[in-house]
Amino acid sequence: MSVAVPDGRTAGAIDDSIEADVAAGAGDPSVPIGDAGSEAARVVVSVPRVDDAPETQGIGWPHRHLLDLDVVTWPEIELVMRTTDAMKEVLARPIPKVPALRGRAVTILFYEASTRTRVSFEVAAKNLSADVVNIAAATSSVTKGESLIDTVRTVEALGADLLVIRHGTSGAPYLAAQHFGGGVLNGGDGWHAHPTQALLDLYTMRARLPGGSLAGRKVVILGDVMHSRVARSNIWALTAAGADLWLCGPSTLLRGFEAWAKAGATAGRTFTVTSDVADALRDADVVMALRIQQERMEGGLLPSLREYAARYGLTRARLANAKPDALVMHPGPMNEGVEIAPDVATMDRSVITDQVSNGVAVRMALLYLMAGVRTGAAKSGASVAFGPAGRNEAPA
Amino acid sequence: MIEIESTTGQLVAELDISRAWLVDPASGREGPGEIVVRDGILEAVTWLDGDEADEARADGVDGTGIVVAPGFIDLHAHFREPGNENAETIATGVAAAAHGGFTTVCLMPNTTPALDEPSVLARVRAAVAATGSPIRVEAYGAVTAGRNGDTLAALGELADAGVVGFSDDGSPVRSASILRNALAYAGSLGLPIVDHPEDSTQTAGAEANDGLVATVLGLRGWPAAAEASAVARDLEILAEVVRDVPGARLHLTHLSTAASIDLVRRAKAAGLPVTCDVTPHHLALTDEWIAGARRWAWEALDDEGDGPGRARNPWHDGATVAAPYDTSLRVNPPLRSAPDAAACLDGLLDGTVDAIATDHAPHSVVDKEVEFGLAANGISGIETALGLVLAAVDAGRLPLGTAIAAFTSGPARLLGTEPGLRQGAPADLVVFDRSSSWTVEPGLLHSRGTNSPVLGRDLVGTVLLTIASGRIAHEDT
Repeated sequence: MSVAVPDGRTAGAIDDSIEADVAAGAGDPSVPIGDAGSEAARVVVSVPRVDDAPETQGIGWPHRHLLDLDVVTWPEIELVMRTTDAMKEVLARPIPKVPALRGRAVTILFYEASTRTRVSFEVAAKNLSADVVNIAAATSSVTKGESLIDTVRTVEALGADLLVIRHGTSGAPYLAAQHFGGGVLNGGDGWHAHPTQALLDLYTMRARLPGGSLAGRKVVILGDVMHSRVARSNIWALTAAGADLWLCGPSTLLRGFEAWAKAGATAGRTFTVTSDVADALRDADVVMALRIQQERMEGGLLPSLREYAARYGLTRARLANAKPDALVMHPGPMNEGVEIAPDVATMDRSVITDQVSNGVAVRMALLYLMAGVRTGAAKSGASVAFGPAGRNEAPA
Repeated sequence: MIEIESTTGQLVAELDISRAWLVDPASGREGPGEIVVRDGILEAVTWLDGDEADEARADGVDGTGIVVAPGFIDLHAHFREPGNENAETIATGVAAAAHGGFTTVCLMPNTTPALDEPSVLARVRAAVAATGSPIRVEAYGAVTAGRNGDTLAALGELADAGVVGFSDDGSPVRSASILRNALAYAGSLGLPIVDHPEDSTQTAGAEANDGLVATVLGLRGWPAAAEASAVARDLEILAEVVRDVPGARLHLTHLSTAASIDLVRRAKAAGLPVTCDVTPHHLALTDEWIAGARRWAWEALDDEGDGPGRARNPWHDGATVAAPYDTSLRVNPPLRSAPDAAACLDGLLDGTVDAIATDHAPHSVVDKEVEFGLAANGISGIETALGLVLAAVDAGRLPLGTAIAAFTSGPARLLGTEPGLRQGAPADLVVFDRSSSWTVEPGLLHSRGTNSPVLGRDLVGTVLLTIASGRIAHEDT
């Protein structure tokens, strides 16, 4: 079993190696999933000792920033999953807290309203004993016209090591990353990406599906795909995991995705796009409903919420097309009675609350892994070194 | 071999360029030769013939080194004065133009206030005169008062004051009814309407060409149909107006899609008085640059097999080498797909496209160093235009003569001028070296706008000398 982790990334941490069977699931282990498209691989990842500070171990996590999943390799995703297992174990303790990030400062900068994601990051950082500063853009000098770059520089000057950012404009975290000396974690940008959500979705599915693998599993993302950063990040993650991914919704809310499906997310790994909800749900293993927003009616994308609910809402009747034990998911917040019926959201096989609790563990894992990346070299104001394929690697 | 006596801004006392490659689109001639300028007058243009020409070619004077051509004409530039002098001034704009090899520049009227009546033109002219530069600066008047789209600007007064046409650029002429009247009224004045074709109902909030890159990056799509449908509308109206007003003329600026080029091709074949231009960035760059790719448009084209070809997928072939969402790539119309860029090149090759115009649109960092979705549209491109076009020439996608014609005789047709390497006339020419390249750095740009997507890149074709009205406008030092 070869370890397909690049040189120098395993030293010192292997007291708990786990051979992860991702046969027929993962892409080429050495290539970012956005570039790659090769066959199954078995990978070995070393799980860090999460009670200890990350910089004391050689952890195979090279990314100074996590902006989207297209630049992450499969073993790195596997590392996140295993580290999340370790965090779950921490969360099960009587005192669910480790001192690993003591003295490290995490700033959570949100330009959009959010409850679960913001609180999830805050709880995750506190469970790691980090110091947490929350900035809601509405109450900061952003309302006085301060630019994103100035805000990010200010946050850095105030001592932040890690910056979690949510922004309504696609790509904003990339701009932040170019002006921040530490690591940037994308908490959701516009329509573009929500990598921590995709990772917690992946974790939740693996935890609940028999066999713990997505390979060949039919996963349906149902709803407003066009405006969804959750859908986009899940396309990278789920196609790399070997899932049979379907995107379903009214054709107005799938704009552009047919072309993406034809091109393939990663070479040789495509997905299916359809407006036929019965076709999409047939024999599905997982159904994830996406939020439909009222403001989408304005541009003529939908006749009405009532019509959407009638034609695409996830009801018990519709769910009957899926496999009997199919998982029901939703990234939240839900419009019950629109994209998902209240009784479906609370069914036994609904894992919506698992998604929320796993979200804390996944974000603990990511904060932990990113805190282990040395960023000192860039503190002098140097911009991000985007290497080949736009990879956001730590400076040498 | 260049020998010169004079200093920048002054009359060229004596200039002798031998062993150069001369390109003269006016006469359709191109080949090895020599020019002599004395006291600002192009005194001699000597074309080598027969054995001499063969010898010179064999000796490397074959168009890959020093090139002498008539001064370039830019049909579309924004110098931002009056109103936004943080982005550009007339003085910095003309210096940038000269650095780019341009001796004539036509300014768009979307200043603040808009150039919609003669006093604003007088202000622009005073600023031009104050620069002391020999660069010829022309201006378009606005089509509608205040560019508000509702009522006609002072077209007749502006024509008397000397504008070269009318445009609401930055915006289309939204109302088809106003466009119809403007074409007729301007046509009777002998001037063209220069339209920026865009159906803005399809582009509200749009950020990037509607395609794979926009979908993957979560950017609001800017459909090709938003341009082509406006082009189709304009052409239908022109066809009717020209029956009553034979002088009516339409120029479509910065076409960017295969469909628009094709519509103009058919309109020209039907005899309509329409001309058009494309920009260097729509020829050489594509939307995949926003995803972090940095290859030329023709390198992003998969044209094996039949048909117009398809865009390569930058995520599949490891082409994404830079950070995504570079706001210097945000422009209106947006950078399009590789097949669209190829169609723009094809339009130049078959004469559908008359000119290459820069749409030089400098912006201050305040308007560009922001989130992609909040950034101003525009590329500062007058100094990099030649380099981008020569990249296509070097790649074998465009003959040098066609490229030079698109910078000179093509745009001159719209202005009714006749550029050429003519003996006895005041010298108006550009000398550049195709064998030399320069690295685009902010410090080397004369424009205040450093919003260039090719910053840090090496471009071929260093401009050695720009001479306008017999005087030196730019000299490489």
